[in-house]
Amino acid sequence: MTPATTALPSAGSRGNAALTVLAAWHAILCPSLIVGALALLNGVPAPDLITIALAVGALLLGVGSAAAAYFIVRRNHLGRTLSLAINYLLFVACLSGLAHALGLFMGLDDLADYMARGFPFLMGLLFIVGYFIATAEVRERPVSLARRNLGRVLMAAGAVGFLLTAGVVPALASIPGKYAGGGLLPLALTLGALAVGYMLWRMSRRDCAQAMGAKNIHSERLNGWLFLSPNLLGFVLFFAGPLLFSLYVSFTNWDSFNKRDWVGLANYGRVFNLAVQPLATPDQPLNEVLDVRLYDELFRLNLFGQGYVVGAEDKRFWISLRNTLVFGLMAVPLSVIPALLLATLLNSRLPGMRFYRTLYFIPSVAAVVGVALIWQWMYNSQVGWINYFITSAVNFVNSVLGTNIKDPQIRWLADSDYALLSVVIMSAWQWLGFNTVLFLAGLQTIPRELYEAATVDGANPRQQFFNVTLPMLAPTTLYVLITTTIQALQVFDQVFIVSNGTGGPGTSTLTMTLNLYQNGFQSFRQGYASALAWVLFIVIFAFTLFQFRRQRRASGAYDM
Amino acid sequence: MKTSYRLIGLMATAGLVLAACAMPVAQPAQPAQPAQPAQPAQPAQPAATEAPAMPAGEVSLRWRTRPDNKEEADVYAGISNEVAQKLGIKLTYEPGGSETASYQDVLRTELAAGTAPDVFWIPGTDIADFVQRGLLLDLRPYADKTEGYSDSNYYPEPMFHLTYNPATGKPGEVLWGLPRDVSTFVLYLNLDLINEAGAPDPRELAKEGKWDWAAFKEVAEKVNALGGDIKGYGMNAWWGPYGAFMNSAGGGFFNAERNACNLNSKESLEGLAFARSLYDAGVAVPYGEDSEPPFRAGKVGMFQNGRWATPGISTVTFNWDVVELPKGPSGHMGNWLFWGAYVVNKNTKHPEEAWKLVDALTQPDVQAKVAARGTNIPSRVGEAVFADFLKILPEKNNQAFLNGLADKPTAEGPLWTGSWPDFDNAMGAKVSDVLTGKLSVEDFGKTICDEAGKAFNK
Repeated sequence: MTPATTALPSAGSRGNAALTVLAAWHAILCPSLIVGALALLNGVPAPDLITIALAVGALLLGVGSAAAAYFIVRRNHLGRTLSLAINYLLFVACLSGLAHALGLFMGLDDLADYMARGFPFLMGLLFIVGYFIATAEVRERPVSLARRNLGRVLMAAGAVGFLLTAGVVPALASIPGKYAGGGLLPLALTLGALAVGYMLWRMSRRDCAQAMGAKNIHSERLNGWLFLSPNLLGFVLFFAGPLLFSLYVSFTNWDSFNKRDWVGLANYGRVFNLAVQPLATPDQPLNEVLDVRLYDELFRLNLFGQGYVVGAEDKRFWISLRNTLVFGLMAVPLSVIPALLLATLLNSRLPGMRFYRTLYFIPSVAAVVGVALIWQWMYNSQVGWINYFITSAVNFVNSVLGTNIKDPQIRWLADSDYALLSVVIMSAWQWLGFNTVLFLAGLQTIPRELYEAATVDGANPRQQFFNVTLPMLAPTTLYVLITTTIQALQVFDQVFIVSNGTGGPGTSTLTMTLNLYQNGFQSFRQGYASALAWVLFIVIFAFTLFQFRRQRRASGAYDM
Repeated sequence: MKTSYRLIGLMATAGLVLAACAMPVAQPAQPAQPAQPAQPAQPAQPAATEAPAMPAGEVSLRWRTRPDNKEEADVYAGISNEVAQKLGIKLTYEPGGSETASYQDVLRTELAAGTAPDVFWIPGTDIADFVQRGLLLDLRPYADKTEGYSDSNYYPEPMFHLTYNPATGKPGEVLWGLPRDVSTFVLYLNLDLINEAGAPDPRELAKEGKWDWAAFKEVAEKVNALGGDIKGYGMNAWWGPYGAFMNSAGGGFFNAERNACNLNSKESLEGLAFARSLYDAGVAVPYGEDSEPPFRAGKVGMFQNGRWATPGISTVTFNWDVVELPKGPSGHMGNWLFWGAYVVNKNTKHPEEAWKLVDALTQPDVQAKVAARGTNIPSRVGEAVFADFLKILPEKNNQAFLNGLADKPTAEGPLWTGSWPDFDNAMGAKVSDVLTGKLSVEDFGKTICDEAGKAFNK
């Protein structure tokens, strides 16, 4: 569709007058923001990252304001775009600052309590009755005006009851007190929000748009950005910002409290610091070949008759890397292949399939912690159900066949040979349902005609599965593989619960995210933990890239 | 009609936000809760409990403990209301998460974010870390002004660490907090199983002074010989239980100055070897398994745990009691003195009132209320305190706990010159390998201090 590019009618005098005010506004805003930014930087002896970010933001907005003023004077539509963007950001900033100054964000923690108290009114009789009366016209016609109004009154009464129960009256009464007790800041932010809000509103008016020569396409673009802005701001503030912050932190020794010295690549150096030394004898003590103040023994190997010892500065990182990869290698196939087979089964038109589809999906929506605790109990070697069934089965076989099979009495979570496998089984069980639903959705998009054609060509069900179903499911399979791999490489909750946060027994369930958590939130080495997080990111990225490339080679259809 | 819905929705949202914004005023006053723990049962973990609302301008403090369950949280909530009225301040009690919910990790994160409570409880092992990060307020100036206060009112072992000044390396100069309670290990006994196995009664052996490692192992083996899924002994997988065996052999985790690893000493290895022998002989619940469920299911003869396990074990249907830990080659039980302390957030706006709260929370009457649940032992010393403690569950051998505390226990202590989490991570992984048969005690001794000793370099 070709975008409309028709110029709007020429501006009137009111528009020009408003633009003069707006240009002046930006001309004042520019030095104010720049001076404010410099004052912010100079006022703090050792500015933290948030202060620096605020100052840089203010500087950018100041420079933008200068450009906005220039283009407004020149009646270039770019000035309108800049003005709207700057005023919009300042408006959001003023409102957020005001909410913070009034303690709103702290109070939001208590929303659950207020919601619970007001819930009977919100969803109670008044609201439900009111809703049914007010919407009766949808179900039965005609409905009298009096009845509709009664419904509205009841609904409004429910809403008012809800607000009163939640404590809105004392809340409103407390606002003047909060302003009075908050000093000048809340007042300044309120005035700022009003001023910026007015400028924003004024520039968005039609007369200003006309005067700036804005075209429909410009308005459409602005509307697009406006709708995108909540998500975009959230992304920048709560995702990209912390991401970049963690990258910065990974080059420091930050401990969350006091220390934050720049250490360059030292954290990454420690992660990857390995040493290999030849051994005189296979059991030569480590302290004779490596500096044990720095290195721990990772493993020993024999190459062409010569023994070597490999030491690592951070042994736990390499162990966690190995455990994570082993976990992924086991958990991904175990949760993808059965899911495909299950989806094929559930795609049949047998009675009760909808029930089974729901049944298999339940583990995916269950809370991980609850699921892990139940599995932990089931895995108990003494009183758990799994060993109980194994013991019963062994006894049954022995009694029926006269064999003497020994009950293995597997110590699922207590034996380092089985602990990771136990977590794999638990995780695969939980992920299976979601993958099944994805495959099921993929299966239902495959045209029936392909199967009919294959049947006409004499293909049996097995051939149809491998030559029609699998190729047609390739996009779904790629998606399932990638998401499951990412999930597996980031496994945390399950191992945290079953090992009580230790990664034990020994280090058998120590995964990369658990190691990261231990460093970041138990030892509070946030700098080192951030470096570990970026290494994990690179590992996941490498795996994802590999899967994309492999898929592209296989089908030639999916490019990065 | 749609406009009406939008208006109502908007109004409700704005109202909620406003109500949340005005929390202190909007919260209606709640009636004072009764002092006794007998409170109506509620379906979920209680939320923060506030004392009756005070007039504007009053001091308001938040405080937090780590209760083991809801009943214990209710006791603290009741205490909070009483103390608030006594001190004339507004108190908000926040029951922290359980040990497995990473209580300390959450607390440190809140401290870093500046949202931590004014007063909180932390375990003894964490004191040094909190102090050295500059998170705790020195209460000495406030304590010195308080009539009746004396460091000697409490067990000396925790007070050593709570008054330790890392700048000078001397105790007694500062005050980082006051101990909430203490605890120590005992062996919970399934007397039915022990009788059925024909084993001697450990309580009698202890009275006769014959309760040592050999006697302990003999009882465990006899119970284990009952067969099936019965085990003679069980302990859980953390540093406390195996550390007690090391202590009992005359060893320990650290040297006397607590600035170097001692895990490879002959005595420590002897203690670990004895623990390993219980697993090699198959008389113990496999290391890494939670031993409490099988004990409560009546399948374990002796279960090593602290006073905190008493309320849960009180509900079992078999005949049970407790006995002190057996004496090892050192001639002592090698028991731990577990403790935790109420400390004050360095950033509190009301340090004077926070100290008063800490002092009030450790008064004998308050400690008695907490101890009445059978969860722990008061941290104050004195014959009157001991006599009151013995009255709790009087039919049980409470003296075993006091015996454990009297027999040169090792205080659960922080590391002032190293990282306890790093030490524990290195030690726990290796000990786990030893007790599950993956690593010999000899090989453990060769490398453990190279690995765990790095904790002292940080």
